[in-house]
Amino acid sequence: MASTKAARIGEEVWKTRVDKVNAELVTLTYGTIVAQLCKDYDSDYVEVNKQLDKMGYNIGMRLIEDFLAKSNTGRCANFRETAEMISKVGFKIFLNITPTVTNWTSDNKQFSLIFEENPLVDFVELPDDGRAQDELWYSSILCGILRGALEMVQIQIEAHFISDVLRGNDSTEMRVSLIRYIDDEMPADDE
Amino acid sequence: MSSAPSLNLAAQAKSLTSASAAGTLQQASNQSGLRYPTNRKTIYDRNLNRSRNAELSRASFAYLFGEMVSYAQRRVTGIQDLEKRLNTQGHPIGLRLLDLLLYREPARSAQRPTRILPLLQFITTTLWRHLFARPADALERSQNNEDEYMISDNDPLVNQYISVPKEMSQLNCAAFVAGIVEGVCDGTGFPARVTAHGVGTEMWPGKTVFLIKFEPEVLERESFLQKP
Amino acid sequence: MLDTDKAQNPRVVFALIIINKAGGLIYQRDFHEGLTKLSVNDYLILAGTFHGIHAITARLMPRPLAPPPPQKPTGIEVLESDAFRLQCFQTLTGTKFLLFTEPHQTNADVVLRRVYELYADYVMKNPFYQSEMPIRCEAFDRHLGSYVKSRQ
Repeated sequence: MASTKAARIGEEVWKTRVDKVNAELVTLTYGTIVAQLCKDYDSDYVEVNKQLDKMGYNIGMRLIEDFLAKSNTGRCANFRETAEMISKVGFKIFLNITPTVTNWTSDNKQFSLIFEENPLVDFVELPDDGRAQDELWYSSILCGILRGALEMVQIQIEAHFISDVLRGNDSTEMRVSLIRYIDDEMPADDE
Repeated sequence: MSSAPSLNLAAQAKSLTSASAAGTLQQASNQSGLRYPTNRKTIYDRNLNRSRNAELSRASFAYLFGEMVSYAQRRVTGIQDLEKRLNTQGHPIGLRLLDLLLYREPARSAQRPTRILPLLQFITTTLWRHLFARPADALERSQNNEDEYMISDNDPLVNQYISVPKEMSQLNCAAFVAGIVEGVCDGTGFPARVTAHGVGTEMWPGKTVFLIKFEPEVLERESFLQKP
Repeated sequence: MLDTDKAQNPRVVFALIIINKAGGLIYQRDFHEGLTKLSVNDYLILAGTFHGIHAITARLMPRPLAPPPPQKPTGIEVLESDAFRLQCFQTLTGTKFLLFTEPHQTNADVVLRRVYELYADYVMKNPFYQSEMPIRCEAFDRHLGSYVKSRQ
């Protein structure tokens, strides 16, 4: 129900309200960012993951405004609805993909996004240095984007990849966990 | 460069033209220490033309480019340095697009340009159309310096959402595009320095000129080739 | 035809104010004569005061029954006077857009939605803009100006 509604919004916004650009420009631009980070951090991939996540967080905090302005949607009723909005509206209007929402925990606080497609990795093969496939999460920026965007609408989450076809896995899967809803009225207690 | 994740386009283009994709995968698996998915979700199984006409949101580009600018800004001391860094980040994209776009040309024109004008036409039409969905607005040769050419873009896509603060008014973030152009020039064997300069008008506040200054050997060769 | 329509249903946008999450004024712009220009200090007070009233009026609503996720009731949305109408649009992220129009203007919400899109484009996609700080983005000024002008 929430899923078909979200799919409809995502399709409509993508078709009628999103300015487009050649996909390969986006793919290659992301590639050059990751390559530069690997150079600057001397192939310390753990640090590169962190930097990508940080960049994503900065993007997410800004991107949420475009998401809200274009989709014209209100607050989600629950975390399951949020997951559908992320996949079918968010990923749809920014990357023209709709990762599958699945593997919910019974408390409805954790789910996975499975990426059949990921335009960020078109053309990409990780370095054959015996480490990159074990240490680098090439698309980490996406985790940061989700974290930043949701924080701006008072939802605190944690997100990380648990598999990636670039590492030789058969699928690319991101795990997303709800930490808490942030209540503005209360003074921040743990920051 | 070999330690950075390569956008392995060059290798891929070469292998796809010489062997079948399946054969290439076999070869690649045998030669490298990389693991590959069992379901063939590798770049070797992906048609190189699949994303040729694919589109993504311009916003996604803007956010990535914005982060590239912010990140670069934190690591440089001045505007020139910042532009240099953006140029450096565009350069490998130019090298790769050169291979990719030539590979996609019809067989009779899939050749690396060997003269200055065909090269510049390739840049202002084929490259510009691919990246920005329209050709560049003008191509001129400098009146004063015969080694300099100028490409104008009235409204560079990369700068669409960017407002440069007054105190940095000399900065033009299209230095990134200058880097892409420089990459194409270097890749074709026409080493050059390419820089981006804002020349805004009332009608086109973001108008930018890309100044291409070829190395002396390029002009030397050109004049040699011109001889009957 | 158009002129009489305009006279009976004037579409005059006087001014726009943007207030950040903390109640600080981050943008103020006049588009049309009609309102007296206030001092910078008065605009700051106006922004802060409206922010406070908005928060208090939001609390006037009955508490939502089911706590998570917090369903935020909206605060005051419209203020009217003889001389102008003030419409507030608060985004889910907490930024407020205040549009001052001619008293009988009816489409302020449409204008505000478009202003929000321009803000998402020319403010939030500008790498030189720092969140929550005063907005000094030449491209935003330019596009906002031509949009509002095209409507009156």
